[in-house]
Amino acid sequence: MIYYLYDGSFSGFLTAIYKAFYSKEDPDSIIKKSLYKPRLFGEIWEIETDENNADKVAKAIKSKISRQSYKNIYYSFLSEQEKIEIEIYYYLKIAFEKGKKIDKNWANDQVRKIKKTSRKVGRERHKYLGLLRFRELKKEVLYAPFEPTYNLLPIISSHFASRIKNNRWVIHDKKRELAVVYDKNEWVMIGGEELPKINYTNREHYYQNLWKDFFENISIENRRNLKRQSNFMPKKYWKYLIEK
Amino acid sequence: MNLGKKLEILSEAAKYDASCSSSGSNRKNSTSGLGNSAQGGICHSWSDDGRCISLLKILFTNYCIYDCAYCVNRRSNDLPRTTFTPQEVAELTINFYKRNYIEGLFLSSAIHKNADYTMEKILKTVELLRNKHNYNGYIHLKAIPGADYQLVKQAGEYADRMSVNIELPSRKSLAELAPQKKPEDILKPMKKIGKGVKENKEEKRKYENAPNFVPGGQSTQLIVGASPEPDYQILKLSEGLYNNLNLKRVYYSAFVPVNDNNKLPTINRPPLIREHRLYQADWLLRFYNFEADELLDQNHPNFNIELDPKADWAVNHLEKFPIEVNKADYQTLLRVPGIGPKSAARIVRSRKRIKLGYYDLINIGMVLKRAKYFITCKGKYFAGVPMKKEILEERLANKSKNWNQLALFNNKEVKN
Repeated sequence: MIYYLYDGSFSGFLTAIYKAFYSKEDPDSIIKKSLYKPRLFGEIWEIETDENNADKVAKAIKSKISRQSYKNIYYSFLSEQEKIEIEIYYYLKIAFEKGKKIDKNWANDQVRKIKKTSRKVGRERHKYLGLLRFRELKKEVLYAPFEPTYNLLPIISSHFASRIKNNRWVIHDKKRELAVVYDKNEWVMIGGEELPKINYTNREHYYQNLWKDFFENISIENRRNLKRQSNFMPKKYWKYLIEK
Repeated sequence: MNLGKKLEILSEAAKYDASCSSSGSNRKNSTSGLGNSAQGGICHSWSDDGRCISLLKILFTNYCIYDCAYCVNRRSNDLPRTTFTPQEVAELTINFYKRNYIEGLFLSSAIHKNADYTMEKILKTVELLRNKHNYNGYIHLKAIPGADYQLVKQAGEYADRMSVNIELPSRKSLAELAPQKKPEDILKPMKKIGKGVKENKEEKRKYENAPNFVPGGQSTQLIVGASPEPDYQILKLSEGLYNNLNLKRVYYSAFVPVNDNNKLPTINRPPLIREHRLYQADWLLRFYNFEADELLDQNHPNFNIELDPKADWAVNHLEKFPIEVNKADYQTLLRVPGIGPKSAARIVRSRKRIKLGYYDLINIGMVLKRAKYFITCKGKYFAGVPMKKEILEERLANKSKNWNQLALFNNKEVKN
């Protein structure tokens, strides 16, 4: 058994892929260092993240397979599902052979697995584009806490960066204790513990109440259908919703 | 009156408008502004009736000079009346938008004083949002019937979508239930906006920087069940609107009785299934190349409540089925219940490589629950029941009988 241990970053993972493609033997597992439990048998390769090599892999995927495929790999990686790394590795072995045709191939199990995972992540991302809620903090900062199933921060931030350019804002993944901070110019990722204390403005409460009232009022009583509501908006999204 | 109370009254007054879509526009943010449109639209919440909330849907005012029988805001109704100011609407929109509650504003209005006065207020509000607040999010505006077209046109330069609601699907019903509204006042701005949208698209093809005019297109709404028109007449009307007036969407709103009026039918529940069937048929017109005359006719003027329109069409045209998935062209595949544009495209693409069997169809992600009764794969028919109309009808029907069974245990009886 060959275990590849990497630092958990996407660059680290791509470095591992680089290593694997230049080795004679396939790895049996590619796993985050922090998740690895020592085993009695097996060979351990510690992967040193190398931005250069990671970049080469990224470029190769985009040019020899497709941008769509690169997106599928990145989204699947962010799913953080167990063993997803090795699944992506086997997907890539097929994809480099087939080229961009892979995007249209639904018949292969390995390929379908990656596409499906990527779709799940994409679906949760899309839901949060609508269901994320910002609160107004003192010193003109908007603050949005959430606990997504998948690691959405890296793929949700650019949407808000092009949308809210006239305000500083923070999106806080409370499950992973990660945050993205935007300063009206660019966004950077920091650890959640670096965030200052949360202090709401006085009028924040006022607008929350206006929104709650609107939410109640806009519903048509004769058409009441809570089942349909929670089909579209499952309970897992409710925790940080103002209106729920 | 404070802003909270106004919002309560004027959102309550706006909720019967079915349109919620925030799609179709790709307006981009300025360098330091607020707001960006998402081409595909984004839903921001779902209210207790299960409808999506995408836009801040409000009336500018519910003071109205008209007395339409079906409308909650008609003049003769005794209810609290108020009006926003353009500043108030802008403030609400900005503060809701930046908290990501909404994708944009949907501003409609009752007719206060006269059509021009009302349209001017609406125009003023969008001017304020776009020019003063640097707001680039989605805006859907009502064009007020009877207003000077210059005002409508100016508003259209700021809006992403505009709509004029026809509401009643025939001149006769309009004359009966909304006697003060002139059909011409509704149709004229629709025609002009439709023409404007078309011209703007051509202009944009030539000049990249041509100004916008209603880039998300025009929509309208029809009330279903307030007047006696059958589905056939409604669908023919929609078809005409799509083909001749270049409409993007027609919305159907199941009639909810809000007024006591002997001109209106008495019903216990809004005709939701009928509304649903019309939406399904509407999709068949727009994405499946069906024509209204294929789905309904004078002898069958209403949709089958048990079967969706496509399945209903198929079981009545069994001579066209089963079709062979490895041979049928794209358009023919589209006519199979359970096969949509996506599956049809996948079939056409996949069969270049291999001859498709039943399990290959499952592998490319198709759901065969309905389609299996109408197709063969490599000449084999997999449904396992004879292709007889009655049998297929039973297999494809909504299990609405179950709903009745559940209703046996309604609240009243449990309490007794």
